[in-house]
Amino acid sequence: MARVRREARIVTRDAAPTPHIAHSAAVGAVSPRDASPAPVPKLELRGIAKTFRTDHGDVEALAPCDLAVREGELVMVVGPSGCGKSTLMSIAAGLEAPTSGEVRVDGRPAGPAGPQRTVVFQRFALFPSETVEGNIAFGLTVAGVARAEREARVAEQLELMGLARFRRAWPHELSGGMQQRVAIARALAVRPEILLMDEPFGALDAQTRTVLQGEISRLRRVMNYTVLFITHSVEEAVYLGDRVVVMSSRPGRIRRDIAIPHDEPWRGLEIEDASMREEFIRYKREIWELIRTEIVRE
Amino acid sequence: MSASPPLAPPSARPRAAVPAALIVGAASIATLVVAWQVVAMAGIVPARVLPTPLDVALRFATLAVETFSGSTLEGHALASLTRWVIGAACAIALGIPLGVALAWLPPLRPVIAPAFELLRFIPPFAWVPIAVLWFGASTTTQALIVFIAAFPACVINAHLGVSLVDPILPRAAAMLGAGGVATLRRVVLPVAAPSIFTGVRIAFSNGWMALVGAELVVGKQGLGFLISQGQINDSVTTIMVGMIAIGALGALIDFGFQRVERAWLPWLAFGAKRAS
Repeated sequence: MARVRREARIVTRDAAPTPHIAHSAAVGAVSPRDASPAPVPKLELRGIAKTFRTDHGDVEALAPCDLAVREGELVMVVGPSGCGKSTLMSIAAGLEAPTSGEVRVDGRPAGPAGPQRTVVFQRFALFPSETVEGNIAFGLTVAGVARAEREARVAEQLELMGLARFRRAWPHELSGGMQQRVAIARALAVRPEILLMDEPFGALDAQTRTVLQGEISRLRRVMNYTVLFITHSVEEAVYLGDRVVVMSSRPGRIRRDIAIPHDEPWRGLEIEDASMREEFIRYKREIWELIRTEIVRE
Repeated sequence: MSASPPLAPPSARPRAAVPAALIVGAASIATLVVAWQVVAMAGIVPARVLPTPLDVALRFATLAVETFSGSTLEGHALASLTRWVIGAACAIALGIPLGVALAWLPPLRPVIAPAFELLRFIPPFAWVPIAVLWFGASTTTQALIVFIAAFPACVINAHLGVSLVDPILPRAAAMLGAGGVATLRRVVLPVAAPSIFTGVRIAFSNGWMALVGAELVVGKQGLGFLISQGQINDSVTTIMVGMIAIGALGALIDFGFQRVERAWLPWLAFGAKRAS
């Protein structure tokens, strides 16, 4: 009985070549929170495609992709390796130009990269010549934020990420997990509207990853950030996401968009406990099946 | 120490190593001097050809107070240093920006690189005759030779340093809202600094060596000139005083510059890296 009810709740849709209007409507229908007509998404990728020119001819990395993230929503993107997830992220951040398509924020063209959309990279990308404090303050310093305000915001981030003891340390003196905390604090200190995370825990050991996943889940309960989060871990995707977007193998396109409701019984548990729950495993298996077929297809 | 566990006390490791290195260094120089004294006193070689260290020390004291070939030892050293400072400063002031620009602004490369590559293979000494025709036996001529010897090292190492900056760092700066100038000043240049500093060190020594060489050929002052006058006056002690002064000043410049480098790049943790 319970099983039937659960299965009915796994709301999925094929996201292949849906026109924009139908797309937003579909997202609105999936939404567990508001039944009103679809609002303007916070972040919208419209027909984003990317083709790289190489010596061996053109390589299509990303087929036209449509993706909308509502305000306060955390969307996870998973897919087989080499499917263009990171390209999608770079384009969303404005760090790379798409071959075609458009990135929109609040319904307007997003423009070049900037503190409105900050990125947490897999390789941390901390500035080696700045201390922990200097790294966190960087975005505020270049924006010309007054010193008192800057120090207050840095202190707030140090506190939030548990970095207070390390404020004067150099990045190379920190462990990978600590470096990634600094990178997250640096991305949050400028108070971005959208946080983009590009496999942020991919370079960390399993234990550190588990702790940081818990922290992201905790941060989400405190602050209502709009997050686009790339990962290769299906477990991480199910655990953290409000929605999980599954990408196909190269050229990457969005294969499936799966909503994961907030009232799942394992929400609020630590990942090791949550991942043993039957409902969690069902999501995981479904997503894995999709990725497996993609890998086999390739 | 109540420092947090993963952080070693910042200065503990490098400090302990210094006295031992100093003792070994002093001992190695002392051995050289003693060996020299023994060979010179053995009487195999006439004193006119190989004076003892003591003779050289006495000559050093004499030259420090008496005028020889127009100047005291300090006067000659000061003349050399002045030319060197002017030439090296110009090489740094022009060479580093050029190297950075070549790496940071790729369109510049095809315009500037060919001319630079051609000119840098003309040795500094090949410029001496034309420099003398242009500027006479002046400070300008000598400084120009220093500049020519020092300039390529500044350009090449600045270019290399900026080229090797991980491209993810400018991307991180861009997403935090930094423009081109802020990214260059606050991210790229600090990361490229070790390579730029290495270039400056090489430039300093190249410039110093070229200067002494040029002074042997032209000029009426300077340590190179002092040596050539020693040769004319058949005074091996004078030559040796000049040679030692040249070596000591060069080493002193390099040592001083390394101290500056450490002070300017605190995040490089010189001692810690060597220890690990």
